[in-house]
Amino acid sequence: MRAYQDMVFSTAARLAGNETQAEDIAQEVFIRAYEHFSDLRSSVTAGGWLKTVTTNLTLNYLNRYRKRWRFFSEMRPATEDSESEAPEMDWEIPDTILADLSAEQRCAIVDAALRQLPDHQRLPLVLYHFEDLSYQEIAIKLNVSLTKIKTDIRRARAALLPLLQNGGAARDTLDG
Amino acid sequence: MSKHIDSEQKLERALTQALEGLPLRRAPRTLELRVVDELERRAALPWWRVSFTHWPAAPRVAFVAVCIALVAATILGGVFAFAGDRSFDQAAALLLSWVQPFLAVMSSAGGVATLLVRVIPPLWLYGGLAFGIMLYVALFGLGAAAYRTLYLRPSSVGDAL
Repeated sequence: MRAYQDMVFSTAARLAGNETQAEDIAQEVFIRAYEHFSDLRSSVTAGGWLKTVTTNLTLNYLNRYRKRWRFFSEMRPATEDSESEAPEMDWEIPDTILADLSAEQRCAIVDAALRQLPDHQRLPLVLYHFEDLSYQEIAIKLNVSLTKIKTDIRRARAALLPLLQNGGAARDTLDG
Repeated sequence: MSKHIDSEQKLERALTQALEGLPLRRAPRTLELRVVDELERRAALPWWRVSFTHWPAAPRVAFVAVCIALVAATILGGVFAFAGDRSFDQAAALLLSWVQPFLAVMSSAGGVATLLVRVIPPLWLYGGLAFGIMLYVALFGLGAAAYRTLYLRPSSVGDAL
């Protein structure tokens, strides 16, 4: 358990954006792992099994809220999700973000920024950037249209950039 | 448009670079203890307090057998109570004697509906139908608007962009 608890907790915390929920989810994951201990003990894919179970449990945890959100949020006109309605990024996009900070500092800023994103942006963004799923796989996993996934990830990136930059600037100020 | 796509690609590259290789979050120290406590608590529960799939084989078989017996007893009891001393033909006739008036009532209701459809001008019928649909849509829209206004968070970070 000790070998995997940080991975399980990280996955749940970044997806859920809430540490208390993440701890509950991680607890349930390890209880399920205990129930399948005979299969997992000698399995080389135990880490992958734990990651998949963590992702699915977190999504289930958030599911009832997500269903309510999706029901009405997808009632918007179709053009709203189209390419033409993508957020305009009229500010300068840097080549690198937080590159001058240590990994631990970046981790703290990124996690704080992710917590500020709404579920429907954070979930696809984390699945894409941290879990390495494709747009198509995310759309299937979240049971949302591919177009909406692309739009949500684009908006999430656009929302994340100033949050990361502000976090980095604040860190520089504190260090200075 | 091309500039817009370039910006998006640049942002994706920059974010990928910023997010990749981040260290894992450290799990709370209490996690391991919580898991062990929960496992002990669940292990201490008597078998009838846990999920059916975790019951021992004998109680599971017994439970299924009792359920089947109860269902069978209920059905047979109902049949015998209804039939009593009557023969099968008599019981069937008694059952049909209840069905026939019901069918007659349904037939009469259908006749009244047909008559109304003939008497009322089609324009009124279509108008009434349209009015009903309009009321339904209005109610649905009102519900959706109330949900979005009162329940959903006002403009999330990303939506504001």
